[in-house]
Amino acid sequence: MKKVILTSVIALLFGFGGAFAQSGSLTGVITDSDSNEPLPGATVFVTELTTGTTSNIDGEYTISNIPYGTYTVVYSFVGYRTVRRTVQINQPTTTINIALRFDAMDLDDVIVSGYAPVLKREVTGSISSISAQEIGDLPLQNTEALLQGRAAGVNITTDSGTPGGAFRIQIRGQGSINAATPPLYIVDGVPVSFSQLTGLSSSSPLNNLNPDDIESIEILKDASSAAIYGSQAAAGVVLITTKRGSEGRTRISLRAETGFRDATERVSYLNRDEFLDWAAEAHNFANPNLTLAESRENRVNFYRNNLFGSPIADPDNPLFADPLGRDLADTNWQEFVFDRGVTQRYNLSVTGGVQNTSFRIAGGYEDTEGTAYNSRFTRLNLRTSLDHQFNDRFSTGVTLNVARSTQAGVCEDGNFINCPPSQAMFEAPMSFPFLEDGSYNPRTRFGVDTNPAVTKNEVDRDVSVVSIFGNLTANYRFTDWLSVRGLVGVDYRTTEDFLHETEVARPTMGGRSLLINREVRNVTSNLVFSANQTFSDVHNVGGFVGVEYRENYSQSASLEARGFPLPFFRWPTTAADPFNVGGAATEFRFAGYFSTVRYNYDERYFLTFTGRYDGSSRFGADTRWGFFPSVSGAWRISDENFFNVSFIDDMRFRAGFGTTGNAAIGNFQNRGLYGAVGSYQGQVALTPTQLANVNLTWEEAQEINVGLDLAFLAGRINTTVDVYQKDTKKLLFGRPLPSDSGFGSIVENIGSVRNEGVEIELESVNLSTGDFTWRTRFNIAFMRNEVLSLPGEDGDTAEDRTINPNSFLSQIAEGQPIGQIMAIRWAGVNPADGRPMWYDADGNLTFTPSQATDAIPYKDGFANRVGGFGNTFSYRGFTLDAFFQFSFGQWAFEQTAWYFTRTLDFNMNLDRMVLDRWQQPGDITYFPRATLTGAAHAETADFRVQEGTHAVYNASYIRLKNVTLSYNAPRAITETLNVAGLRVFVSGVNLYTWTAWPFYDPEVAFGQTDIFNNLSAASYPTSLQVNAGVEINF
Amino acid sequence: MKLINRLLLISLVGILAMSCNSLLEDVEPTTAVSGEAALTSEGGVMAIRASMYSKMRASFGYTTQYFVGPSAFTDENNIRPGATRFQGLNNANGADGATTHLGVWGASYNILLDANLLINAIADGVMEDAARDRVIGEALVIRALVKHNLARTYGYEPGNFNAGPEANWNLAAILRADATLSIEDADKRPRATVQDIYAQIFDDLTEAQTKLAGTSDNTFANEAFAYGLAARVNLYAGNWPEAAAAAQTAINLAIANGNGLQTTANGVANMFVGSDPEALFLLIVDPNTEPIAGSNINNGLAAYTSNQWMSQQPTQFVLDLYDPADLRLGWYAPCGDVQTDGAPVGTSCEAVNDDGLTLRKWTGANGNLSDNIPYMRIAELYLIRAEALARASGPGAGVGALNDLRNARGLGDAPASVTASLDAFIDEILDERVRELVQEGHRFWDLKRTGKRIFFPDQTEVKFREDSYRILAPIGQGLIGANELLCENPGYPAFDPACYQP
Repeated sequence: MKKVILTSVIALLFGFGGAFAQSGSLTGVITDSDSNEPLPGATVFVTELTTGTTSNIDGEYTISNIPYGTYTVVYSFVGYRTVRRTVQINQPTTTINIALRFDAMDLDDVIVSGYAPVLKREVTGSISSISAQEIGDLPLQNTEALLQGRAAGVNITTDSGTPGGAFRIQIRGQGSINAATPPLYIVDGVPVSFSQLTGLSSSSPLNNLNPDDIESIEILKDASSAAIYGSQAAAGVVLITTKRGSEGRTRISLRAETGFRDATERVSYLNRDEFLDWAAEAHNFANPNLTLAESRENRVNFYRNNLFGSPIADPDNPLFADPLGRDLADTNWQEFVFDRGVTQRYNLSVTGGVQNTSFRIAGGYEDTEGTAYNSRFTRLNLRTSLDHQFNDRFSTGVTLNVARSTQAGVCEDGNFINCPPSQAMFEAPMSFPFLEDGSYNPRTRFGVDTNPAVTKNEVDRDVSVVSIFGNLTANYRFTDWLSVRGLVGVDYRTTEDFLHETEVARPTMGGRSLLINREVRNVTSNLVFSANQTFSDVHNVGGFVGVEYRENYSQSASLEARGFPLPFFRWPTTAADPFNVGGAATEFRFAGYFSTVRYNYDERYFLTFTGRYDGSSRFGADTRWGFFPSVSGAWRISDENFFNVSFIDDMRFRAGFGTTGNAAIGNFQNRGLYGAVGSYQGQVALTPTQLANVNLTWEEAQEINVGLDLAFLAGRINTTVDVYQKDTKKLLFGRPLPSDSGFGSIVENIGSVRNEGVEIELESVNLSTGDFTWRTRFNIAFMRNEVLSLPGEDGDTAEDRTINPNSFLSQIAEGQPIGQIMAIRWAGVNPADGRPMWYDADGNLTFTPSQATDAIPYKDGFANRVGGFGNTFSYRGFTLDAFFQFSFGQWAFEQTAWYFTRTLDFNMNLDRMVLDRWQQPGDITYFPRATLTGAAHAETADFRVQEGTHAVYNASYIRLKNVTLSYNAPRAITETLNVAGLRVFVSGVNLYTWTAWPFYDPEVAFGQTDIFNNLSAASYPTSLQVNAGVEINF
Repeated sequence: MKLINRLLLISLVGILAMSCNSLLEDVEPTTAVSGEAALTSEGGVMAIRASMYSKMRASFGYTTQYFVGPSAFTDENNIRPGATRFQGLNNANGADGATTHLGVWGASYNILLDANLLINAIADGVMEDAARDRVIGEALVIRALVKHNLARTYGYEPGNFNAGPEANWNLAAILRADATLSIEDADKRPRATVQDIYAQIFDDLTEAQTKLAGTSDNTFANEAFAYGLAARVNLYAGNWPEAAAAAQTAINLAIANGNGLQTTANGVANMFVGSDPEALFLLIVDPNTEPIAGSNINNGLAAYTSNQWMSQQPTQFVLDLYDPADLRLGWYAPCGDVQTDGAPVGTSCEAVNDDGLTLRKWTGANGNLSDNIPYMRIAELYLIRAEALARASGPGAGVGALNDLRNARGLGDAPASVTASLDAFIDEILDERVRELVQEGHRFWDLKRTGKRIFFPDQTEVKFREDSYRILAPIGQGLIGANELLCENPGYPAFDPACYQP
């Protein structure tokens, strides 16, 4: 199949040597009408040919091989009023110079939509657009990070603060109840594979794309715009377009920056003396015959002699210090675990072109150290794009990105004794990393092999990713109105995980190395016929029909070797026992036929039909194919004769309805399978792992979207409002089976979920006086999530149908949002004796509440108000941009902090908030009486493990996401330096957070597939980063 | 030229369109096969058999919880200060701690899935009869072991149905003797009675004894273990003569297999290292590729006891039961002496017993914190025989078997006082079971089946009254929520008196 497509495209490339018809090129300079300065990056678009280019650094543009004829050419640039010109091409070179007037946003920008670009004025669905200008200076590692807070209804949460870490992205809420699905990312027409990510670090497959290469990002949010991607689009589609070259002088741009990275939040823990006071108090309650001072002495001795020892070495016994004269340690473990990282980034690009051929070659290098010890990200990439016009009918382009990124990873998200984020909580101040002689302290909380200093120095978690990502396109224009475009895209990625633990870190294995080589070959090909025609000057008809095929094959091979007695070796050859190997391959395939038809009458009435017929290898023969249609329309009411509102420049209603699909389950889930799981005495074991379900089919999302676009006050204010309701049906879900059958669950299509909301995007030019401009952008989304129906048998009540009934964090019930928290109501601490109290179901006080009977629907993990707002101030060459991002409505449970840092049971770090505790009768406090272990009072639930409303915190926040200050050197300076442009900038991200969340990071995401969003467990917190740099253009 | 180009393009689209559906068919998993392929080849059957044993090793409920849980739940073990593993079992008592118990539902039925496939679903003619009989026989024994464990966890023993808060409470677990081959087989069922489950266990063991005749490899279920298990289950059922007879047959077979009692100081002290000479059925654990419950370091027997977490340590109550001459004192060593990993040496075992000792039954002898797991040792059979004979015919009849064991452990015959009355003899048997079988998964069940009050390790405070509802494990809200036919045990929040009326 691949060969067929490849051969065909090669045939396309070389088989069409048609004669040159008469054609000419269009060229010119685009300038700012006020200053007459050239405008680099402005868009020129020939509507009839659906082709275009952008102006170079000198404002020059050239479009070649335009057949003689009459064309509508659109000149546009962000913030400037779009100009439409009718141009006659009847000579070899036609020169049109355009002066654009600064205005504000305009609806005539060309934006990338599914398979073909459209003018923004013709968009009938809901699409958010982010340009390179907006995100160009952000010192972030991948695309998801760039998008945070920038588009209404796109909720992005940092899954891990490690550089290059993953993000959880929800576009218009949570539609699945099996596992959250990332949106479909398409880079220059090629879908990005999420298969075979490293197991040693949180990681994003988009790490291999250098943000500096991104030209624009479009997010297809509603079903009518995303339906063209059919079965893979239910979670939304993110289209990323990279920069390309344009004809003209060869230009070189060099950019260098450096900065630092720090943890955004710290938790305040008790220091040693406060800890001892607390422990003494607890001990004294248990031993009222002692004085408080005696209790404290008892605890000091206990910690020194039985648990932690002393960092001051005793010549006779290095573990046991003299109990009389020497001290316990007082270590700030947060300082040990989280420290400042340094970052540097360099980008160099060369663009240019001669007639018929243009190119862009760009290379980048980044090296960023994370805040948790050892974590680090590097990327080296080379991106080449080349466009060539063979003749007036046939053109081709090639794009190739080769990147190697590395991560030094850390583990996280769980109560793990060897992961830095949890170690910061698990080690008490009396614990310490090193003995006086510099050797590792063997008496850290869980022994020497998980001493944080050992994890830091004796464990390597190295990830190396090599990515080849590229495409080859060929365009052939049959006539003025009909053309075909073929694309072959390759996303090839190998990931090498190398985990090495020395003998110190893994004494029972004598040290070990684990190597896993992962490979994914994700190939996409498509062929699209496009047509555009205008009849009687007012009937504009366009559209395309296409076919697409994608296969995603992945494999992995692992080997583990143990026994590394020599500290300088780590490769398996040098191991005593290279004993364990593994390996497996898996694959999924998609195929689809799709079409879009657009019609507009006089650019006033717009109508779009889209349909896609998709098949997936994940379903059985009878249920494999699904049809995903959509219809949408728009009415430009401001163009009507009766419309006479002087301050409104443009007003447009949009409405759309469509269906998209989701096949986000594992491969082969429809089959009855016996899996190779485990072994006994070397004999491989085979056991039934899943029962067959031949009826398994697509999850479907039906969405209705109504929108309004409004531009008023001479284009100074642009708003877009969208209202949507999205019902996801036939949800893929692992329905629990009676466990005595031997099976846990079977994946079935059940139930439905509704997401609905309102999204508002607003951009305005508040002030524009000669040298000074002030612009504001704002977006907010109000969202609601509700489970509509769940499966059950006849006669079942809604309670019967509830999944995980009364579960603290994972109940799924009709009428409630996904992520509902079922909590027992906290009644406070009894002022008489410091005993914790709760309310039972009837509202009576109880000391022993039961989750099954007393929990009530409390908060939920669904952030229902998210967005961002920013201001940009420009004065002469200076630009100051400040952007805030916010999220409200999410409540969550920080498991690790709650279980381990509030009581003395485990002798770990203690959160300072426990100081608000009961000490004597009459105290009104949040925390009960101090206790050494377990419940302090008889017949009372253990406060440490009893979940309830008191354990759930508000994870809402407003974050100063980004501040950038840049200065463009004036022509006087650049001419002196003999450069074309010079710019210096300082940019910071995650600079300040306003939140009531008392733990490390209010961005609660347990993992990319977590649907509940109400749990976090020692996650790597989001990092602050500040970079300063310089950009020089030649 | 133009025409050719267009034809080429059109045919190209045609190729794409036609081939798509077949392309989607042509994808196969690499680490799994269809059920038909598994059950119609000898290799597939042997792989399912391996899975049955592998699941025992891979489940917490049949390894660490099975062996250490009943000790932590009673007076044999207590938590080392600073450790946490099984602390819930240590602290649980007869009045609250509603969820902490020895529940083993999921793990049991996961093993039964494989056993039932082997018993019911091997296609005809895929292997020779002898090989097939052996595989089926092994599956029957394992099924009996699992069913018995389910019955004693969720139900009372025959004869004890009035021990708890409800009269004649005789529910055990779900009886599932057929193979689950399709979604229709995964139906909802109610709990069966203890009588029904015991009847099936005896049928299974009788059939297994025939099918396994002549098998002696103690790393798989075998003839001696089939008789040994029959002795154990008959003891629980109160069938004294049958228990005594099966124990004798099992002892004879084990001795013939070379698995007799160890009698030397060295032999006794080190019997848990490696191949375990007294084991009738020994699950082999490969330290590298077949970890216990997913991770030896986190969940293994050694990790919970003498190594890594060093959580559960023998109580002074246990140590006080030994005579100074007892060879079994060789099983004890100072905390930290056997430690290869984890918490630092010398920590706070003194808080559990005076000399800061740990028990050396689970030490990580196979390397990487793994040990082979003996589900039955011959010593238990002497104790079963002694108890069964005494209950059938008086203490004098049982003391011989008790003395056989005592003599092997470096002790003389039992003093006359133990045969003074049946009660005195049973008390001595229970003490001897602690001395011999501590941390091997017996203490809670022994106290439960004999209706004894359960004390905290200091032997002063009562942990469970004999009539406490907490003697039975809860079925749990999760299981009942998924299957309304399940009735909860009396006393737990979800108990509904109308659910079951015996």
